Amino acid sequence: MNIQKPGLTLYGLFIVMAFLAAAALLFGVAVSSILVFLLIYAALAYSINFITGMIGYVDFGHVLFMAIGSYALATLVSYYGANPLLGVGAGAVLGLVFALGIGLVILRFRGVYFAIATVVLVLAAYNIVLQFPQLGTGGEIIFNLTLQPLTPYFTIWTIVLIEIALTYYVNRSRIGFGIRAIKSEEDAASSVGVSPQRLKLIGYMLGGLFGGAAGGVYSWSTSGVTAGPAFDFTFSLLMLAMIIIGGVGTSIGPLLGAVVVYIPSYFLLTSVAQAQPLIIGLLVIIMALFLPDGIVGLLRRSNERLRLVLE
Amino acid sequence: MVAVELIVRDLAFGLMLGCVFSVVAHGLNIIWGVVKVVNIAHGEFIMLGAYGAYFLNLFAGITPLESAPVNAVIGLLVGYAFYYAFLHRELRNKQTITLQSEMVTLAATFGLSLFISNLAIILFTGNPVGVNYNPGTLQFGYLHVPLAALYVAIVSILIIAGTWLFLEKTFIGSTIRAYSQDVTATELVGANPATVASLATALGFAVTMAGGALLTVWVPVGINPLMGALYAPISFVIVVLGGPGKMWGSLVGGLTLGVLIDLVQAFATAQIAYAAAFLILIPVLVFRPGGILK
Repeated sequence: MNIQKPGLTLYGLFIVMAFLAAAALLFGVAVSSILVFLLIYAALAYSINFITGMIGYVDFGHVLFMAIGSYALATLVSYYGANPLLGVGAGAVLGLVFALGIGLVILRFRGVYFAIATVVLVLAAYNIVLQFPQLGTGGEIIFNLTLQPLTPYFTIWTIVLIEIALTYYVNRSRIGFGIRAIKSEEDAASSVGVSPQRLKLIGYMLGGLFGGAAGGVYSWSTSGVTAGPAFDFTFSLLMLAMIIIGGVGTSIGPLLGAVVVYIPSYFLLTSVAQAQPLIIGLLVIIMALFLPDGIVGLLRRSNERLRLVLE
Repeated sequence: MVAVELIVRDLAFGLMLGCVFSVVAHGLNIIWGVVKVVNIAHGEFIMLGAYGAYFLNLFAGITPLESAPVNAVIGLLVGYAFYYAFLHRELRNKQTITLQSEMVTLAATFGLSLFISNLAIILFTGNPVGVNYNPGTLQFGYLHVPLAALYVAIVSILIIAGTWLFLEKTFIGSTIRAYSQDVTATELVGANPATVASLATALGFAVTMAGGALLTVWVPVGINPLMGALYAPISFVIVVLGGPGKMWGSLVGGLTLGVLIDLVQAFATAQIAYAAAFLILIPVLVFRPGGILK
């Protein structure tokens, strides 16, 4: 199998990541508290990219793994006084385990049936969490930590870095070829010796792992978790919007999408901010109908040199 | 005796709620069954239908039952426009829909749902509104049945029966059924696939928006821009339960769900009831992927 040497995209992404690390170290709390959410968005976008981007199964319920990670960290930190880093690890492991269990069942459904199954799972999980008094009234856990903004920042920074490397590797490896074969034609793929069930499960579990980890860092940064926002479809939808806008399945698209979705919401005034989801919706429609590869596809099409470089 | 009375009452209300659930999901069923596309923005069109009934009540003073046909006419136009804006590019010249096209339509209608619900928040504000419609109650022994809910249940069944008759007994209906079975063959016998598909989509939207009007009877103070986020998943579950493309499937799925929610609610909490209603989809998909109807 011909696997090429790492290209410019990977080096470019590493430079961006190095820049993000330097910005936090140089400017400290003020900058890192803004950028930490950008990185959380990016981590979530990369995590759903393993599922929707690579396998091509639209996942409306990815927020489930984020919520699992959030609750794992919040429970460990507020009830057992554990180190938040341990909470992030627990969130990642739980995300992986849940993805394995859920994936074994719902990855058997194709296309729209999978999409619908992911929707109902989140709604069911939300209603079930509200049943547990241990998770606080209204599923709310709030904790106090001495503020060390750089620790969560570099945790999520590391997660995103691993995700970028892994996305890049999977896209070019044997697994990636198999996964792309599933995306184009699942039956044909299985007839040439690709095992769709196994590869889909790998993608789904990667999504669950990183979704859980990102969710852990999210509740760490917001010092708490509430069932309403934790299972809010808004996050699921934003994750999906980010990769559709950035470019599904690519290594650079999720980061681009996170920038497009997150940065305006931070800088716009509240009155204008109301119009932001409206614009995201419009962008998603346009991208889905006319630019299936998002911004990455647009850049590739506009310039011959970019076409060769961007992945 | 109290327990029995309770169960009878929950069953009656569950059946009536199920009827309105059915009609709300029925529009999705028609589009899914014929065009093989799932409209993720389905809930947003239910919401628009509900607001249609609210504004017609506010400005023209008509009841939700009377605004349903008005909504249906608007729905026809909206559905027709929707087909050409969102589905035509993916469906034309295709015998069956590919996974790729399926993803495109899912993503595009998902964008539409974000767009419409957020536009609705700006236009209508987030405050819930309601339609006041109360024609009295009917009494069967200890059972008090609000007439509004009963009328809505009857109209819902009539709408489903009407679409079934239309698809079974009329020429256009036969053409639509032919399209749902074999696009190329339909084209070979002289029907324009785009016309047939757009008609079916328009019909689906008409039923959806009329259903939104009927739903206002059950949510007297709960019409809000985000209500679609609940009714879209409920519609998905109903259509899967009944089997996409089976006209009576909507009613079977809707009644199952309505009774399930009301009965579970009688013994456990509302949360457990809704969790059960959503989770029932998974075993159905695993064991009876074509729906519970044969």
